[in-house]
Amino acid sequence: MDNKINLSQLAERMAQEAGMSKAAAEQFVKNFFDIISQNVLTEGIVKVKGFGTFKLIQMEDRESVNVNTGERFTIEGHQKIAFIPDADLKERVNKPFAAFETVPITEEQAAVIGQMEESEKTEEIKLKTTDNMEKKETESKKELKEKKTDSKVEKEEKTGCTGLKITVWILSIIAVLALIIFLLWPLIGGKILGRADKKMEEKAAVTAPAPAPAPAPAPAATTAKPAEAKFALTKEDEAKALPLFTIADTVNYKITGTLTTHTMVKGDMLTTIALKYYGTKKLWPYIAKYNNIKSRSFKRLPVGYKVKVPKLANK
Amino acid sequence: MNNKQFLTELSGKCQMSAESAAEQIQTLIGVMENVWKNGDSVSLSGFGVLEVKKKNERVSVNPTTGVRMLVPPKLVLTYKPSSLLKEKLK
Repeated sequence: MDNKINLSQLAERMAQEAGMSKAAAEQFVKNFFDIISQNVLTEGIVKVKGFGTFKLIQMEDRESVNVNTGERFTIEGHQKIAFIPDADLKERVNKPFAAFETVPITEEQAAVIGQMEESEKTEEIKLKTTDNMEKKETESKKELKEKKTDSKVEKEEKTGCTGLKITVWILSIIAVLALIIFLLWPLIGGKILGRADKKMEEKAAVTAPAPAPAPAPAPAATTAKPAEAKFALTKEDEAKALPLFTIADTVNYKITGTLTTHTMVKGDMLTTIALKYYGTKKLWPYIAKYNNIKSRSFKRLPVGYKVKVPKLANK
Repeated sequence: MNNKQFLTELSGKCQMSAESAAEQIQTLIGVMENVWKNGDSVSLSGFGVLEVKKKNERVSVNPTTGVRMLVPPKLVLTYKPSSLLKEKLK
């Protein structure tokens, strides 16, 4: 096994086989391969019946990456000697494995293969040190799970299973992003609005006194719901940042009824409506709450949308 | 260069008839086959190495139908040209 048979050894065996002198056999073998190697260079192709074809193949330029530096470089096109064994010889060489045939894999077989791979992996793990043990086990388990889901997907739809997987991934990522944005919106939105208010306030200070507070004082009531509490939080923060705006910066209002109905025109936002009816932008969350407007549609209320403006009363 | 041209050149060099040269070629191939059967390789200086390699079984997927096929293991005769021959090629 794994011995290298050189020219003289080959000639010796051939001399025995053909009943000729060793010198003649060696000469013959030498000539045989010399002719092949010479002619493949000069003519580009040598066909030997029962053995195979030697030919020159043109390799195109291709890009590669230096493993050490990561630099890209081109491997220039070159010629290469290829050997295609004769079909008969190929078959004879492959005789030990000739009984095997290419077969389509059924679902159960795929599962069995998966298990086999799994057991191979666990064996590997046993051989290795305990350091990576847990990690590798979880990895292989993950892989097994993936395989299982794979096969499930295949049952549902045999073609395009990878495509499905990718879309599922993308959808779940989008869902998670949307959730995060939804949860953080009151904070972000509040800050942006707060900034806008600050500017407004500065203007007001320069030109004229701040707009008069519209809502009338009323008996106290603390029936703040969780949603209101969120708004309340941001409002209190703003109150600290902007001490001048005492009217709007509190949560000390409760909704006592409908003040009026406002039809949205172009450019209207909840904040502008709040400014119009209450004299401050900051009370917009009450309008949103009163109209059951979800946070995600704050900015795109359609023109013509009727917004009920709640009557606010002090607690 | 086809088989006929090869035979004439070989028979001319070895001073034998084309028929006997063809016979000898078959004997030589038979001898080499026995070498490969034992798991050995034929290594010739200035020419290269002729060796039988085992290719493992693998799962291939038909890209159009998505059918998974198990391709069985096989023994393949490979040729690796010697560096000397490669140098001449340049």
